[in-house]
Amino acid sequence: MQEVFVNMGQVIVLKQEGILTTVGLGSCIGLALYDPSAKVGGMGHIFLAKSRSEDDAKAFPGKYADSGVPTLVQMMVLAGARRERLVAKMAGGAHLFPKLRNNGPSVGDQNIEAVSVKLKELRIPLHGRDVAGQHGRKMRFDVISGIVIVTAIGKQPLEI
Amino acid sequence: MSTARLDFLKELGNIGAGHATAALSRMLGNERFELVVPEAAMLSFGDAWDYIGGPEQVVAGIYIQVMGDAHGHMAFILPVDSALRLVEILVGGETAELDEMGLSALEEVGNIMVASYLNALSDLTGMRLMPSVPAAAVDMAGAVWQTILAGAAVSDTLTLIKTEFMTDSVAIGGHILFLPDEEGFQIIARRLGLEEL
Repeated sequence: MQEVFVNMGQVIVLKQEGILTTVGLGSCIGLALYDPSAKVGGMGHIFLAKSRSEDDAKAFPGKYADSGVPTLVQMMVLAGARRERLVAKMAGGAHLFPKLRNNGPSVGDQNIEAVSVKLKELRIPLHGRDVAGQHGRKMRFDVISGIVIVTAIGKQPLEI
Repeated sequence: MSTARLDFLKELGNIGAGHATAALSRMLGNERFELVVPEAAMLSFGDAWDYIGGPEQVVAGIYIQVMGDAHGHMAFILPVDSALRLVEILVGGETAELDEMGLSALEEVGNIMVASYLNALSDLTGMRLMPSVPAAAVDMAGAVWQTILAGAAVSDTLTLIKTEFMTDSVAIGGHILFLPDEEGFQIIARRLGLEEL
């Protein structure tokens, strides 16, 4: 089966086939959106919460939660998904270096919050998540079944 | 990118990493280290992702922020086997996994290496460069590297210097990376009389 890797800042949509995978999620968020009826699945690998400039968000919309989530939704609708049927699952947002505690929330926490807010704004229900903590993750999303599995070093695979 | 800029970056890497590995060598009872010619690069955001290779490989990463007259980020990344050997030599005895004590030892190594690296650059430039507290993590290379890039809030391009080091007699190798902020990089370049970088 076709397995497509979604690298940092990318958003990729598959229709009726394949697996979307993102490896090495640290503070980044892997976001899987799914229309179970049309079997259209999309994944984003979100780097930071907010774009610092409009140009940057235009050049690389998938990098940021504020531009990446709407971009992924648009791409899915173009691929035949219905907006009102979309459901979401997400993983990541870890804090790998807790000793480097700056003032305020960690990059991972900011990412979790920004993606959650954007999903709420777009009225996409969040059906599963494995976020925060201090470890990296890998996320695999089967576009046929909608099953999302999260793996991490030294942990049992987790279906979310 | 101009050759002058690349050469300048490489020279910084050479000087910094030379001092860093000399410090490591002293910690390891004068074990001799070989430095591979430093690699200077300006990467696009899209290419930065797999620069350190093998995103699922388990590595130990020590991450330190640089403050003072110029800002930036430093990372010391080594395969987990190398990290274990290093801890064994430093702490003594056999180590099967990196526990709290192992991680602390690694942080200390990172601290000393980065301080030496920055001192060398400070001497060269007359600038004040100070390391933050070190933080170590053992995880997938992709997750460690990605978190460092996010900490550096990398925008469209990333300037970095990577120096690889290894030793003959004990199997220890790894990478020392310096990611100056663009502003920080320009300050260092100007200090050394390089205007047109």
